[in-house]
Amino acid sequence: MEMTRSAPSGSASSVAVETVADRGYKGIPIGLERGSGSRKLLARMIRVMFPHKGIPDAPYIRAAEAVLALACEKPGRQVAFAAAIQDLMNLDFEAMDDAAALDHLRAMSATDFFTQFQGKALLAFYDDPEVWEHLGYEGPSFDKGGYVNRGFNDLDWLPDPRIEEYDGGEQ
Amino acid sequence: MKQIALDEPAVVIIGSGAGGGTLAYELTQQGIECVVLEAGPYLKNEDYENDEWKAFNQMAWLDPRTTSGSWRIAKDFPSLPAWIVKAVGGTTTHWSGATPRFKEHEFKALSTYGPVEGASLLDWPITLAEMEPYYERAEMAMGSTHRHGRAALPANNNYKVFANGAERIGYKRYATGPYATNAEPYDGRPASIQDGFNFQGDKSGAKWSIMVREIPRALETGLLDLRPDSHVVRITHDASGKADAVIYADKDGNLHRQAARVVCVAGNSIETARLLLLSESTRFPKGLANGSDQVGRNYMRHLTGSVYARFDKPVRMYRGETMAGLIADESRFDPSRGFVGGFYMETISLGPAFLAAFVEPGAWGPDFAEIMSSYANTAGMWIVGEDMPQSDNRITLSSNVRDQWDLPVANVHFDDHPNDVAMREYGYGKAAELYDAVGALGHHRTPPYPSTHNLGTCRMSERAEDGVCDRNGRTHEVANLFISDGSQMTTGAAANPTLTIVALAMRQADYLAGELKRGNL
Repeated sequence: MEMTRSAPSGSASSVAVETVADRGYKGIPIGLERGSGSRKLLARMIRVMFPHKGIPDAPYIRAAEAVLALACEKPGRQVAFAAAIQDLMNLDFEAMDDAAALDHLRAMSATDFFTQFQGKALLAFYDDPEVWEHLGYEGPSFDKGGYVNRGFNDLDWLPDPRIEEYDGGEQ
Repeated sequence: MKQIALDEPAVVIIGSGAGGGTLAYELTQQGIECVVLEAGPYLKNEDYENDEWKAFNQMAWLDPRTTSGSWRIAKDFPSLPAWIVKAVGGTTTHWSGATPRFKEHEFKALSTYGPVEGASLLDWPITLAEMEPYYERAEMAMGSTHRHGRAALPANNNYKVFANGAERIGYKRYATGPYATNAEPYDGRPASIQDGFNFQGDKSGAKWSIMVREIPRALETGLLDLRPDSHVVRITHDASGKADAVIYADKDGNLHRQAARVVCVAGNSIETARLLLLSESTRFPKGLANGSDQVGRNYMRHLTGSVYARFDKPVRMYRGETMAGLIADESRFDPSRGFVGGFYMETISLGPAFLAAFVEPGAWGPDFAEIMSSYANTAGMWIVGEDMPQSDNRITLSSNVRDQWDLPVANVHFDDHPNDVAMREYGYGKAAELYDAVGALGHHRTPPYPSTHNLGTCRMSERAEDGVCDRNGRTHEVANLFISDGSQMTTGAAANPTLTIVALAMRQADYLAGELKRGNL
């Protein structure tokens, strides 16, 4: 089961559609092929959504691929994603600076496309071991013997507190 | 393994979690044969995953459900009202391990709090004094730390922040337990290796669960017929109105009928109520044992809320026992705080995968990324308190969504009571104060997760018209039908419910064994 959130109905990307209608959908990347640039554009979107300075492109690309895989599960979703991606390409989304790109995403954040995109991108990106490493999370630990001898109690900037229950009686 | 014939009227237990698993263990210890029907697979320690989403997809109850009401879950996770387990051992597989007892006044909620507008409070038909011997037994079975001479768990990093903050704002009743994971080897199981994955099943076996203790020991008696992948779809009754069989689907969807002498339902509060509603008949048109129209009502899910605080130095909250830190100072009756009932504060940690999904559902952008960037320097706590039972917070059958067996799914309707909102706000404030006292740079108030403490829905009541079952969990209307899980709770109290579910099941087992031996069932 996907942990997708409910979404308002409506056009896949009505915000973008209004501004770029003149450029049309002639080149709509319905196959969402690797060579179409979809992956790169989505990776840029994910970096604007989840900006982490020290994280290289690879995890963003992997998250974009997870979104494309979700998009390609159903033809209706695939064409909606393709149209939304085409809109963003027509707008030269990738050329926008961070602030403009963020504003643009905010403007389209109520769309069904964005809600699905955000849900999947978040799950994929923060479930990536390379991202964990950057955030300082060590992943599976059982096979390494847990943390009992590897720092489960290594915090040293506060005094060691009492671990037993209070013996001053009930309140 | 014991094989009980389908046409032999058996003691049939539906569900193998804290309630059903305990009942099976206690009955087989007393020489009574039983069949346990578990909807999920038989997962063992070696099957569990040190990975949040893999574990979730392996063991969570993911059959469809629907939601309604003003609670935020209905917006953020509309098909996932509860985060519970579908596997042998039930939700004890992923439970945290905290084992505080309910308090005397919490068994007398209506008398203590007085009537609360909009709430359907009642006193339990049993008292703490009656429960105490069973609490003792449950703590021994589960190996609660800090009890009966057992050692406390050591302080992990998250606890160091939590306990120092508690001390600095004047709290006194903090400790690393009581907690049902071994600090030292106990009962044939090892000491904790502090791996931080008990929400994912605990591979080491240091944590008590029904899967590691009660199920194997019940099987060793040769009296338990355990059937995993067996999803009960209906309880049937005879002309006299007594339960006479249980019908279940195996994993391929083939139906089987097990004749029953006694039926004990322990499917966790949502499925227990749903099963009774699905078992309607001409004699029980609103559902089995539902003449009072109380089945499914008074669904409670505990208050809950989390606070994650950021510091300028490392915490590494994910290392060590996740919930081995409790503060009990706010677990008291003190309406001067602006609400009735009390709450606990308990350490909690999520990995980045779960934190991203749950810290602020739907959030993204630079502020959200900042929360995630601070991961290694973050401390977390969970607020768990008594929520008000409300008649309209209830489980009903969906009119339009069906499950894999083509049965109507459960709809879970929940509205927060004003008392719940007031307690949550107060709890968030105290949590922030605690973390500020040890130098937090900032904190985030996280809304309730999909419910892990699902209670009520078939509550115990003195009078038949107020509830579904009596003080022994026996339904008011069907003499050989028992409620054996957290569904029977009259009110929810503040404490994590597993210890009380186990204690209630032990008590029910004594009653059932007596009735069976006296030939009354």
